[in-house]
Amino acid sequence: MFRPVKLTRLTIQAPEDQISAVMAILGDLRLLHLIRVEETHLGHLGYVAHIDTSLLEHYDSLLARANRLLRDLGPTDPSSGIRKVPRPDKAVFRLEEDLARIETEALEPLERKKKAKNAISEHEALIARLQLLEPAGIDLDRLDDLKYVTWRAGLIPEENLNKLEQSLVDTHHTLIPIGRKERRAVLLAMSLKEDEEVLLRALKSAFCDPLELPPGIHGTIEKALDRLSDELEHLKTELAGLDTEGAELTRKYGTRLKYLREEILLARQLLKAQAKFGQIDHTYLLTGWIPVALFEELKKRIIKATSGNVLVDQVDPKDIKEVRSGILKIPILFNNPMLIRPFERLTTLYGTPSYEEVEPTVFLAVSFLLLFGMMFGDMGHGAILCGIGYYVFRKMYRYIDYGIILMECGVSSMIFGLLYGSVFGMENLFPALWMHPMDEINRFMVMSAFLGIGVISLGLILNLINVIRQHRYGELLSTSGLAGALLYWLGVGLVARYLLSGGLSPFEVIFAKVAAGALIILMILQRPVRAVLAQRRKEEKWRHLPPGFGGTILESFIEVLDDLLRYLANTVSFVRVAAFALTHAGLFIAVFSLADMVRGVHGGGLFYWVTLIIGNVFIIALEGMVVSIQTIRLEYYEFFSKFFRGGGKPFQPLLEEE
Amino acid sequence: MILAAARYAYPNAKVRALRSRRLTAQDRHFLLEARDFSSFLAYLATTSYGPVLPDLEDGVSDPGILERRLARSLMEDYAKVARSLRGKRQQELVLALFSRFEAENLKVLLRAMFSGLEKQAVSHLLYPLGKLSALPWDDLWACNNPAEIADLLIRNPFGQALRHAIPQYNVQGRLFPLEMALDLSCFQRLRQAIFGLRSRSDRKAAKRILGPYVDILNISWVIRLKIHYGLSHEEIVNYSLPGGDLLTLSHLHRLARAEDISSFLEQMPRSLQKEVQEVHEWDDFHLHLETWFLRLLARFFMGPPFHIGIEIAFLLEKEMELTSIITLLEAKAQGLSSEEAEKRLPEQLSMVAYV
Repeated sequence: MFRPVKLTRLTIQAPEDQISAVMAILGDLRLLHLIRVEETHLGHLGYVAHIDTSLLEHYDSLLARANRLLRDLGPTDPSSGIRKVPRPDKAVFRLEEDLARIETEALEPLERKKKAKNAISEHEALIARLQLLEPAGIDLDRLDDLKYVTWRAGLIPEENLNKLEQSLVDTHHTLIPIGRKERRAVLLAMSLKEDEEVLLRALKSAFCDPLELPPGIHGTIEKALDRLSDELEHLKTELAGLDTEGAELTRKYGTRLKYLREEILLARQLLKAQAKFGQIDHTYLLTGWIPVALFEELKKRIIKATSGNVLVDQVDPKDIKEVRSGILKIPILFNNPMLIRPFERLTTLYGTPSYEEVEPTVFLAVSFLLLFGMMFGDMGHGAILCGIGYYVFRKMYRYIDYGIILMECGVSSMIFGLLYGSVFGMENLFPALWMHPMDEINRFMVMSAFLGIGVISLGLILNLINVIRQHRYGELLSTSGLAGALLYWLGVGLVARYLLSGGLSPFEVIFAKVAAGALIILMILQRPVRAVLAQRRKEEKWRHLPPGFGGTILESFIEVLDDLLRYLANTVSFVRVAAFALTHAGLFIAVFSLADMVRGVHGGGLFYWVTLIIGNVFIIALEGMVVSIQTIRLEYYEFFSKFFRGGGKPFQPLLEEE
Repeated sequence: MILAAARYAYPNAKVRALRSRRLTAQDRHFLLEARDFSSFLAYLATTSYGPVLPDLEDGVSDPGILERRLARSLMEDYAKVARSLRGKRQQELVLALFSRFEAENLKVLLRAMFSGLEKQAVSHLLYPLGKLSALPWDDLWACNNPAEIADLLIRNPFGQALRHAIPQYNVQGRLFPLEMALDLSCFQRLRQAIFGLRSRSDRKAAKRILGPYVDILNISWVIRLKIHYGLSHEEIVNYSLPGGDLLTLSHLHRLARAEDISSFLEQMPRSLQKEVQEVHEWDDFHLHLETWFLRLLARFFMGPPFHIGIEIAFLLEKEMELTSIITLLEAKAQGLSSEEAEKRLPEQLSMVAYV
C-alpha cells in the first residue's frame, strides 16, 4: 500500500511456433508491462518482430461482422467477461465457425427486418409527398393519359414564383399553387409535351424540389393514400413480427456474441502487442515488467504449455545497468485497497511517483477525507453527497472512481456533521459531539493549524524516507531534509509548550536558541561546502553554481530564509480549514435569515421551505466545489510539495480496454 | 433632420476619414506605369494597402494569394463602418452587403468539400472576414456534406437557401445550384434589409445605390450565363438577382433572349442605353456600367449627407477600387503593358483623379 507493487524484469525467448501459446498465457496474466524491443539495442539493430498482418486482417473482418450483428440485434446483457484468453492463431478458426453459425441463423431475418424498415420509411415519405398534392384533388391516371400536355409537381421557394412565371412567359404553361410548406409553394406545373424540356429547365433553375411519384401510383391521390396507408399498416405488422423474431435471436445469441466480440478484441490486442517483440530468424524475444510474485507461476505455465521449449528468465532491477543509471525507469503499479484506489487519479494528476518513492495515495486519501469533512461537516449534506456518489457509482460506469470519492466524502461530512451537531444547518436537533464551529472560532482555528502541523510533519517524514531510499543523503542537512524537519518541530514544540503552560523556562529558551542557531548554520553552510567539495571533484552537477564561496553562502542564506518562511506560510495556510467550515456555517445562517424574511408574506410557509431547499442546493453546489478545490490545493501545495518528486512511469498492462 | 444629423455625424466623419485613404491620381499613374509585378507591389506597399501586403522580401509572387490579402483592407473598413453605425437596421444593411463575402467563403468551403480538399489547401482563396462574420466557421469546416452545413446555418438565410437548393444539388450532382442559392440569398437579405430601414431617406438612398448595383450585376450575369455558360433564357431569368431598380424581370427575359449585341442594347432600359451605346464587345459591358456606377456613387458624396447612402457608397466604391487593383495586379503578373492594363479598368481609376 505504501509502495508500488514490486516488479521484476521478465525476458522470454520463444520459437515462432510457440509464440501464440505464450501470448495467450501472458494475456491471461494481464499484469505485464511490455518494453518495446524497438527501443532497445536489439531493436536498434533491426531485430523487430512483425505482426502477422493476414491474421490481423482476419480478426478485423471478424470484428466487423460481430459488431454488425450486435448492432442489428440491439442491446444485450453485458457478457460475463473472458475467463481464458484465446490463443490468436488457433482461436481464429473457432471464432470464425461460431460467428458463421450465428450468421446463418440471424442474417436472413435481420435482412428481412431491415427491408421492412426501409419499406416503411419509403411509404411514409411517399405518403408525406402525396399529402402535399392531396388538396388539388388530382387524378393521376387522367394526368398521365394527357396526350399533348406534360406535368410536374414540386416545392419551390416562394420568392422564386414570379421569376418562374416570367421565365415561362414564351411557353404555353400553367402553374397551379396547391399549398405551402416551410416557406415553399407546392406547385403543379403543366406545359405542352413539346415544351417539356423548357419546363424542366425552368423548374430546375427555380430550385424546384421535385415531388416524384414512383410508378404504380394510380387513380386519385385520396385513393392512393388509402392504399398506401393500408400497405404501411401491413408493413408495420410484419415488422412487429420480425421484432419478436429479432428479440428471440438477441436472447439466444446476444450474450454469446458479446463474449465472441471480447475474444476477438483480446486476440487482436495480443497480435498487435507482437509489434513490441524482438525477432531473430524464427525466435521471438519479448521483455517487460511483471510483479515479482507472479513470475514463478508464469514460468511454470509457459514451460508446461510449451513443453519446455521456451526460455523464461528474470533479472533483478538492481542488476540492470540502465535502471541503475536512471535511463530505464521501472513502471509503477499501484497497490491500493478498493476504497483508496480512486484517489490514485488525484495522485497521478500531480505526477506519477517514481519506483523508489513512497506511494502517497493512502496518505492523500485519508488527509483529503479528513480536510473535506472538517470544511463541509453536515449530516444532511453529507448524506446527499453520498447519495449522488452512489448514483454515479451505479449508473455511470466511466465515472465510477468519482462516485466512490463522492460517497467517501459524503461519509466524512456526515461524521463531522455528527461531531458539529449539524443537519442541513440546523444545530439544535441533537447535541454536538465535539463543538459548534461558530461558537468556538479561536479554538477551531488553533485546531486547524495543528492539523496542518500534523500534515506537514507527515510530509517531512515521508521525505526523509524518500531521501534514504533514493540515497540522497546530502539532502538530510537541507531545509527540506532532517535539519529542516528538526527546526520545524523545535518551533512547533516551543509554540505548543507556550500555549499549554503560558511561558518557557530559561533553559528551554537557551536550548531553543542554541539548537535553532546550529541547525540554521548547518543548513546555510551545507550547500556551499558540498559545492566546494564537489567542484574539487569536478562533478558536473555543481558546475552551474556561481564561483566563489561568499556568493554561494549568500545564495544559500536566502534560500534557507525562503524555505523557513514557507514552513510558516504552509502551516498558517491550514487555518483555511476552519475558515471554510465557518463559511459553511455562515451560509446556513444567511439561508435561514432569508427564509425567515419570506415567512411573513402571503403563502410564506411554502416560500420558507422553498428558500431553505434552494439555499441548501446552492450551498452543496457552491461550497462543495470550493471545499474540494481548497482541499486539493492543501494536498498538492502544502503536503505533496514536501516530499513528492514524481517523474515515474505508469504501468501499462498488456491488454488495455479497447 | 437634426436627428439624422446626430445619427450620422460620427459614421460620416469615419467614412470620410477612411475615404481619404483611397488611391490618388498619382498612385494610379505609378501603379499603371510600374515596370513589372515586383515594382507594382513595391509601389502599392507605399499606399494605404501597404499594411495588408506580405513582407515583400518573402518573395510572394502569386497574385491569387495577394488578392485575398488585399481584401483585408476592405474587410477592416466594413467592420469600422458597421461599428460606427448606431441603428441595428443600418448595421443589418451593411452586414447584408458584407454577407456576399461570407457567401464567397462558403462557396470555397463547398468546393473544397466537393473536391475532398482540406481547409489548408484552399485557405489562400478565403476572404479574411475577421470578427464581423458571426458564422461558426470552425464548425462549418468540420461538416462532411452540404446538408450538415444547411443544418448548422439553419438560423441564417444561408441555411434556408442551401436547404432549398439541396434537392437540385442532389439531382444535378454539381455545386452550381448551391452556389447560386448562396448568391441569391445574399441579395434577398439585402433587399429585406433595405425594406427594414425605418427612415425614408435611408430607404431611398439605399435603393438609389443598390438598385443600380443589382442591375449592373444582373446584366453582367445575363451576359456571363448566356455567353460563357450557354444557359437558356428561362434559366437566366430564374437565376437573376432580386432588388434591381431599372431592370424588370421582363427586361431580363428579353435581354436573355437577345441574339447579338445590337439587339441586346435595344432591350436595355433607355437610361442605361446611353451609358453603353459605345460597346462593341460583350466583355466591355461591365466596364462601361461600372464607370457609370462609380459616377453615381461619387454624386452621393456631394449631396445631402445624413443617410445610410454615404456608408454604402463608400464601401462599394472601395470594393471597386480593390477590384481595379486586382485587375492591375493580374495584368502586371501577365506582363501586360500599361496601355493594355488601362483598357481593363473602369474609367474612374484610369482617368479621374481621386482627390
